[in-house]
Amino acid sequence: MTGVLTEAVARLLLAPSLILAAAILVKGYSDVGDGFTAGVVAGLAVLLQYAAFGYRRVERVLPVRAAVGVALAGLALALAVAFVPLLWGAEAVTHYPRPAEHVVHVGTVELLTAVAFDVGVFLLVLGMSVGAVDAFARAAGERREP
Amino acid sequence: MVYAPLALPWLLAAGLAALDGRRRSVGWVAAGTLTVHLAALAWLGLDVFLDGPRETVTGGWPAGIGIVLRADALGVAFAFVSSLVLLLALVYELQSGGSSRTFPALVLFLAAGLTGLFLTGDVFSFFVFFELSMMASYVLSAHGGEARQLGAAFIFAVVNLLGSFVFLISVAAIYHVTGTLEMAAVAERMTLVEPASAIAIAVSVFVAFGVKLGLFPFHFWLPPIYAGARPAVAAILSGAVANIGAYGLLRFGAGLLPLELELTAGALAVLGAASIVYGSAQALSRRATAEVLAYSSIGQAGYILVALAVGGRVGYAAAVVYAVANSLNKVLLFLAAGARGPLVGGAFALGALSVVGLPPSGGFVAKVELFLAGLEAGSAVLVALIVVGSLLSFVYMFQIYQHDYWRARPAEPASRTSVRLLVFAVALLVLAAGVWPEPLLLLGERCADVLLAEGGG
Amino acid sequence: MTVLTAGVVAVIFGSGAYLLLKPDLFRVVVGIVLVSNAATLALMASGLSRGDPPIAPGAGAEVSDPLVQAMTLTAIVIGFGVAVLLLALVYRIYTSHSTVDLDELSQAEARHEAELEREQVEV
Repeated sequence: MTGVLTEAVARLLLAPSLILAAAILVKGYSDVGDGFTAGVVAGLAVLLQYAAFGYRRVERVLPVRAAVGVALAGLALALAVAFVPLLWGAEAVTHYPRPAEHVVHVGTVELLTAVAFDVGVFLLVLGMSVGAVDAFARAAGERREP
Repeated sequence: MVYAPLALPWLLAAGLAALDGRRRSVGWVAAGTLTVHLAALAWLGLDVFLDGPRETVTGGWPAGIGIVLRADALGVAFAFVSSLVLLLALVYELQSGGSSRTFPALVLFLAAGLTGLFLTGDVFSFFVFFELSMMASYVLSAHGGEARQLGAAFIFAVVNLLGSFVFLISVAAIYHVTGTLEMAAVAERMTLVEPASAIAIAVSVFVAFGVKLGLFPFHFWLPPIYAGARPAVAAILSGAVANIGAYGLLRFGAGLLPLELELTAGALAVLGAASIVYGSAQALSRRATAEVLAYSSIGQAGYILVALAVGGRVGYAAAVVYAVANSLNKVLLFLAAGARGPLVGGAFALGALSVVGLPPSGGFVAKVELFLAGLEAGSAVLVALIVVGSLLSFVYMFQIYQHDYWRARPAEPASRTSVRLLVFAVALLVLAAGVWPEPLLLLGERCADVLLAEGGG
Repeated sequence: MTVLTAGVVAVIFGSGAYLLLKPDLFRVVVGIVLVSNAATLALMASGLSRGDPPIAPGAGAEVSDPLVQAMTLTAIVIGFGVAVLLLALVYRIYTSHSTVDLDELSQAEARHEAELEREQVEV
């Protein structure tokens, strides 16, 4: 169904797309970008693999079975960032360091709890979209070739 | 303190979603979570009752930047009743062995969404929580049903999504004309908005919540989904999710748009009356219990709208009391209709009495409040409507009681004792609301005061 | 600008509403997606202002309203989730009925009900 060219392009695009997603994710705090967009970009990269190779080959190469787990881990991480500050009496969704406090830098990446929240969103969106695509693809594939 | 009831079901839902909900332990963890959640809500409610509304801004931001969470009598009351309905339905489903992989987690997500929706003081996060709970209920509505239930679930989802997006557009309009999303500030600035824009906003808000509540011209999705769903799911949809509509109409209609509500009161009363007559007439012509109850819900929604149209302290109080009593009635009737054996018939009969509005049931208290509202409005038509509606509901409830419990039916084994005891306990709750009505009435008055203060009336 | 956006919102919403009336469930899903995008656009337009991105404003530059952008993003996320959910539902309908046509579905349902009625009469 898909030609050699499609497969080659899909294979070549996977790693750059994932790196682009990571860039969008970490740039979100000094420039335009965020976890949701990053999740969609990464999800689309995986979707392209499904379109090019079919679900059996994708499942052999990529850890897509873990998608639902990834989504739930992301949700748990985002909720934890939102609600853990309650433990020491701060308001929910309080981010640290507070405004005007010193921020630790790793290269150009700023370490904020807001980044952790967005990583949670990223994992949730990526896991959800890959999980949904995988479920559809597998169900459709099993119908066609029982 | 405001966060505890919100965070708890949400965190546990995320955890339980990873586990298999068919395992008994998972179901019971969910039920335990909901119990603690209810206790937290009760604690919050007591605090609100003693010290007045509690407000908090997320993220430690100054007010006006962060999202405001606001617990007042109205919000806490609806949150408590909805979560109670969820807990009862969950325990019922666990006891009758119908839990599926995702059922306990979905119920918890629904509890988180509903709690957030009732406790938020921000128009947009209201929409977000609203969608969270609606998405959980779309999935729930397809739960455990037969193949043909899927079609009904799809229509339910599409119609309600259309309602949601109409609501989202009105949120955009509210932000455009008032420049704020905080409910209290919206209520203040709404009085200065051009009447033409304000009426357009009010109409789209009404359409959005009319769809949720299943009011007469927007009701067509309701009967197939209620009639085809499992008893516990029908109880959740009619007893907890439908509360979104009632609460939304009260909060947005009476709280944020009181002038527009007053202006359109006549039209609302006519729509409410149409809902009552249509729902009752359709219920009369049906034979299947679940279908009768579904059409009855349309009629019951009409009473809430009529009370809202009467307005003022008495009208709002009646609307709140009626909504609460209706939630309890619906959960009792749907659960009782799904069970068989001793105790169940009596419980169903009490639920039927409550729908009709006869003592000694919670429904009686609600009907009396409604009656008082009708007298307050000085409208003979309204009083007559309430009487005629009650008579019609007496006929259709008696019809199904006779059909279901007087005829000897072969080969229907009794439900488990625990299921029957649960149904009986719900019946006792409805009975208690009728025998000792003061808490319910006081609650109605407190909620009416909240709305009047917010609407600046 | 406001009139233009309002017009675009109206056209998208109208197209979505038109698709919602089709019996083909897949078109209905596309209709809902269009309606959700109309709502998103309305949200964006509700606080339309020119300026730098609020996350990294230039020195002394005007900043566009960040709130509508946050709301729009949230609405897009919700629309995305809703689309996935509806597609899953359509797929389940397709696997259990082998059709995504509402007319055929209701015909099947009518047949099913007629059967039930016959059974009841026989009992």
